[in-house]
Amino acid sequence: MKLKKFLKGTVVAATFAAAAWTLPQVQAEETKGPVTDEIGVVMIPKGAPIFIGGYWTISGPDTALGLDQQRGAEIALDDWDGMVAGHKVKFVVEDSQCNAEGGQTAATKLASNQNMVVVVGPDCSSAGTPGGPILWKAGIPSVATSTTAPTLTAADRPEGLHGYLRTIYNDLSAGAADAEYFFNEMKCTTMATVHDGSPYAEQLVRVAEGRFTELGGKVVAAEAVTPTDVDMRPLLTGIATTKPCVLYFPIFVASAAQIVRQSSEIKGMEGTTIIGGSALMAPGFLEAVGDSAVGFRFTNPDASDDAFGERYPQLVKQYEEKYGEKPIQAFHANAYDGMAVALMGIEKVAKTDADGNTYIGRKALRDALFATKDYDGIGGKISCNEHGDCAGFKFAVYEFTNGDPSTFEIGTNPKKIHP
Amino acid sequence: MAFDVVASARQEREEHVPAWRRTLVTGLTFGGFAFYFALVGIVTMFHGRWIIVDTVSLGHALLIVTAGAAGLYIAYKARVGSYQELLLQGAGAGAIVGAVMSLLVLVIVNFKLRFIFVQLWKPLLKALDFGQDPWTAAVILIVGGAVFGALGVLFFIMNPAIRKPIVAGLVAAGIAGLFQELIQLMIQSYGTFRELFFTWDGMTLQGAVILFVVFAAISAFWGWRRESLNARFERLPVNRQKTMRVSGYVLAGLLVLVFPYLAGNFIGQVLMLVGLFTLMGMGLNLEIGLAGLLDLGFVAFYAVGAYTTALLTASSDAAFMQLPYWVAMPIAIFFSICVGVLFGVPVLKVRGDYLAVATLGLGEIVRVIVLSDAAAPLLAGAQGILGVPRPWIGNFELSTPVALFYLTLVGSLIAAYIAYALENSRLGRAWTAIRDDEDVAQALGINLVNVKLLAYGLGAAFAGLAGSIFAVMLGSIFPHSFQLIISINVLALIIVGGMGSLPGVALGAFALIGLPELLREFGEYRFLFYGLVIVIMMRIRPEGLWPSASRRREMNVDEEDRAVVEAELAASKAPAKK
Amino acid sequence: MTAAASSETRNGLDRLKDLKRLSFVDVILWALRIGVLIVVVGGSIGTLIKGRYSMEQWFDFFMFGLTIGGIYALIALGYTMVYGILRLINFAHGDITMTGAFSAYFLARGLDRSGFLDANPVISMILIMGLAMIICSAIALAVERICYRPFRHVATLAPLICAIGASFFLQHSFRGMYGSSIRAYPDPEWMKGQVNFLSFEVPLYQFVVIGISLAAMLFLYLVVQRTKMGTAMRAVSEDRDAASMMGIDVNKVILFTFILGGCMAGIGGVLYCMVYKQIYFYMGFLPGVKAFSAAVLGGIGNIPGAMLGGLFLGVVESIGPALFLDGIGIAAPYQLRDLIAFTMLVMVLIFRPQGILGERLATKRA
Repeated sequence: MKLKKFLKGTVVAATFAAAAWTLPQVQAEETKGPVTDEIGVVMIPKGAPIFIGGYWTISGPDTALGLDQQRGAEIALDDWDGMVAGHKVKFVVEDSQCNAEGGQTAATKLASNQNMVVVVGPDCSSAGTPGGPILWKAGIPSVATSTTAPTLTAADRPEGLHGYLRTIYNDLSAGAADAEYFFNEMKCTTMATVHDGSPYAEQLVRVAEGRFTELGGKVVAAEAVTPTDVDMRPLLTGIATTKPCVLYFPIFVASAAQIVRQSSEIKGMEGTTIIGGSALMAPGFLEAVGDSAVGFRFTNPDASDDAFGERYPQLVKQYEEKYGEKPIQAFHANAYDGMAVALMGIEKVAKTDADGNTYIGRKALRDALFATKDYDGIGGKISCNEHGDCAGFKFAVYEFTNGDPSTFEIGTNPKKIHP
Repeated sequence: MAFDVVASARQEREEHVPAWRRTLVTGLTFGGFAFYFALVGIVTMFHGRWIIVDTVSLGHALLIVTAGAAGLYIAYKARVGSYQELLLQGAGAGAIVGAVMSLLVLVIVNFKLRFIFVQLWKPLLKALDFGQDPWTAAVILIVGGAVFGALGVLFFIMNPAIRKPIVAGLVAAGIAGLFQELIQLMIQSYGTFRELFFTWDGMTLQGAVILFVVFAAISAFWGWRRESLNARFERLPVNRQKTMRVSGYVLAGLLVLVFPYLAGNFIGQVLMLVGLFTLMGMGLNLEIGLAGLLDLGFVAFYAVGAYTTALLTASSDAAFMQLPYWVAMPIAIFFSICVGVLFGVPVLKVRGDYLAVATLGLGEIVRVIVLSDAAAPLLAGAQGILGVPRPWIGNFELSTPVALFYLTLVGSLIAAYIAYALENSRLGRAWTAIRDDEDVAQALGINLVNVKLLAYGLGAAFAGLAGSIFAVMLGSIFPHSFQLIISINVLALIIVGGMGSLPGVALGAFALIGLPELLREFGEYRFLFYGLVIVIMMRIRPEGLWPSASRRREMNVDEEDRAVVEAELAASKAPAKK
Repeated sequence: MTAAASSETRNGLDRLKDLKRLSFVDVILWALRIGVLIVVVGGSIGTLIKGRYSMEQWFDFFMFGLTIGGIYALIALGYTMVYGILRLINFAHGDITMTGAFSAYFLARGLDRSGFLDANPVISMILIMGLAMIICSAIALAVERICYRPFRHVATLAPLICAIGASFFLQHSFRGMYGSSIRAYPDPEWMKGQVNFLSFEVPLYQFVVIGISLAAMLFLYLVVQRTKMGTAMRAVSEDRDAASMMGIDVNKVILFTFILGGCMAGIGGVLYCMVYKQIYFYMGFLPGVKAFSAAVLGGIGNIPGAMLGGLFLGVVESIGPALFLDGIGIAAPYQLRDLIAFTMLVMVLIFRPQGILGERLATKRA
């Protein structure tokens, strides 16, 4: 009797299993409508939305970093009236939590939607490392918006990252350029560095240290803090005893603001120039620092006057209008560009048939994204190379002239002082 | 017994509350909730999503539910009074909720408070004004509030035979509307079936109606036929009943087994995280639930398991060797046990809450070391260890979340068996003895040192296994994955599940790990809901969702104790009134 | 004579036996002691020989430590008082600190913009702290009502978990309400001065902060020791049932404790923000954990203990990396600041399990 019931159960289970096998498999050559693609085609029936995903840090202590980028991308979408290739865009945002498991879960969720066309994000390299391959395995390219780790776009990167590109610079170019500026332009021979334990800042600092030593300079102190540290005075007192010519700390708004504020109090820091990184290009930084920001310098990719100059204030205005606060972190412009690149890519490869159905080849879209050239993004010129590095890095140094966040305007506050 | 007295005393007191006052207080309370929802941005965010496409937004649904709840609460509290009176009171309370909201509309229009409260701005206005001018909107809000408040009362006083099907239908439609994205992902391959209920923007009106009708009908049918079905089951011969039960369990078990496979990778991924935390929960349960050792540094063992696995298998330069996973995993577990024992030694004599802080400190020490530059040559620091390969079984790579879920499941089952066996072993009894009273246990000849260290070591083994699977799940390991919050989560899940109970651990893991993942729908608000759910769960079931038998007995004793407190409170208030 | 001699030899024998009985546990504990000792002594000697820091800088380190230590102490008082009365860890206390300071920010900003803050520093600070104290107390009471009262007579971890839930809830509610950006407290002119103290130049604000926190702690100490309510508090923390039988309104005492803890958190939060300037929704969590450790360090449930623990923790955090780690050439010592703090905590608990000033009550209550 029991056995019979058990068998019955097994049969039911087997039926379910068989049903599961019939789920379509991705990653095979496919032809739908007018489009043939190596790894699959997404068909969007007339009137249905096109799915675009996004994943950033929108919970926990780093919420501001991700939320800022989500907003940047949403504004880009608004600028396109929420439409691409004649369809409404459905923008699905997930939380990457700025760690690997968050990135993986978010990417898995995005990838499990068979209609997902492209993903914008993430913000943290630790989320992108497992997330990128999951998406690409499902045939979805990702346009990262603030992941700068060199391994993500290295020539020998794993197969899984071949669908991964980014609208932000690579630590390798940025770190080296910063070191060269310190040595050649500022004529410094001693440097101290501070990172905050994030893969981003640590990598940047290591690259800069390497290049600086290569040029003949000396790294007199290599320190680190945690992003939640507030009392930097002991650290700065320690650094002051080594009398560095320049203190380089490419870290995020909260802890960087503490260093900027407190360094003026420390005896022995008078001869040291403090220089931050591009994570500080945000009104939120002025909000956190106040008047101590005046005269403070940081390195940032050159916001060429033709792009950043005109459209950036507009972006800030839209941002404020929509979310009630000024941009809270630095990479919303990169996120805007990320979304724009994704939308342009779709525009390029989408084919619509007579019935109004649209077809997008996955491999074709990936190639189109990688072929993006000379787009004047808000965060700088976007030209992708074959490994997925799209932000053409042009070095520049900026200086804040006013501590009031409402005066934030790239070009005047902060103003470009080099080149 | 004392409890009954208190309860009836309270009831008596409340019956004296005049109706207008109850209406006002209830209205203001629920209005306060609605105000809070608006102020923190939940209304705005919910208004951007449909629960039924082009008909009801989630934000409006939230306000409707709040107004309805006010009416419901009035009816629940009042108990006496004619229907007309109750309906009037409910409508009044609902109208107050609406009035609070309309006040908010007027504030937004007339004052610029946005530099403090970032939500008081156009998007919220859009959610509240229905496209009308502020005064019309205020009227709509108040009238709407009154209607739904009255409906709330009606809902309470109607015949249960009618109410139950309505509840079933509403709940079913509500869940389908709320979790539409998730459900759509699961049924996306069945196009026409999906389109019956959903468009990609959300649930359609047609879908909502179908769901409502179907579930209401099922519920009504069940309410009508339950008695006779039960009776028929009772009449069956005993062995027949037994087979039916067993086959029911088997079928349910099989369904659970097959479900992730059917539901796809995302559900697989979520269940896998649930599985990992279940593993850790079972480990911590040995420490806290059985041995009574409060441990807030549990993440350390998880980190050791993950890092050992990564260092032994990864293809990156940071790794020492490239062993196959099946060799590395036992080594990782062994290392975790060693660390567990080492971890236990210094805190042997520390007890109670001091122990919680000592272990918290030890856990933080491990986290800081893993991240530090000082240990970077060994552990790769902030850059993490990349290129951890997936495990292979023969020629099959366990690469998808679903495959890895089954690995976790097998691990959990083995661990559960071990935990179960331990619980009922001599060692388990020794643990229980030191939990109840260390001094007595020692007097009984239990070697405290060995027994405690075994608890730490074995607990750590579970976490080590979880960490090891975690490493291959990600394929890369970063120090930022091992925060204090993980220890807190594991502790919370075993308490929410029910301390000392194995099924409780799994249930707790599902509630606290699975739920936030499913709550992904709510974006940046999910941890707000998560906190709220924890608080509510603890208030409703402080003994946990599935407490062990002995715990339940203890809690029952406590329940009487609580009655004493209530009596104390009542007594302390009484003289003040004089 | 013989008796004495034999007792001596027996002692010797005992010692030998002790050595033989030296278990695995003792070996590890000794290794730990020796290891920490080597790092501390070796590191200190190394640093002092290197002579990287001048006397003035050591003094600065000490003052930095006292400043943050005073704030830790204020927050720690809330933990310790609640623990003393209820034997429960108020996990949400760090976030309660945040709520007051965050709300008071808007008042501080308003006062700053109108110039009132610069003109009337004392009145402004009283207003700002008063607002923070009110908000903190109100939220502390709400947390008590929701998370602690239902479990008052129940031996369970439920209130701890409930408080963890409340902590998430508070963080994200305030994020939703006030936004997620980091806001900066005003930086009035009068805080920027320098004071000459023992021939060292010391920033004025450090005196202000240390002074206010000491005054607040003194006030609290007097309340607890001298007032009727304070006596009741002590009675309840000694034995709740007996106190209740003596006619003490336990409920009132508990509410009073939460209000007092909330007030201290309010002052602590505002001071924290006046020194470190930043306020955002997550800012309460870490000071909360630190203050909690400080409370335990000093002996939880013990009010002078919390003060001592806070100051001690602050000073060790500030001096530790330079003194102990610099000397042995560890990379990036400041990253290991928490490591030093927590190692010290663990060491104290191992060798003095009841904390610096704690009573032996820990064993009984566990």
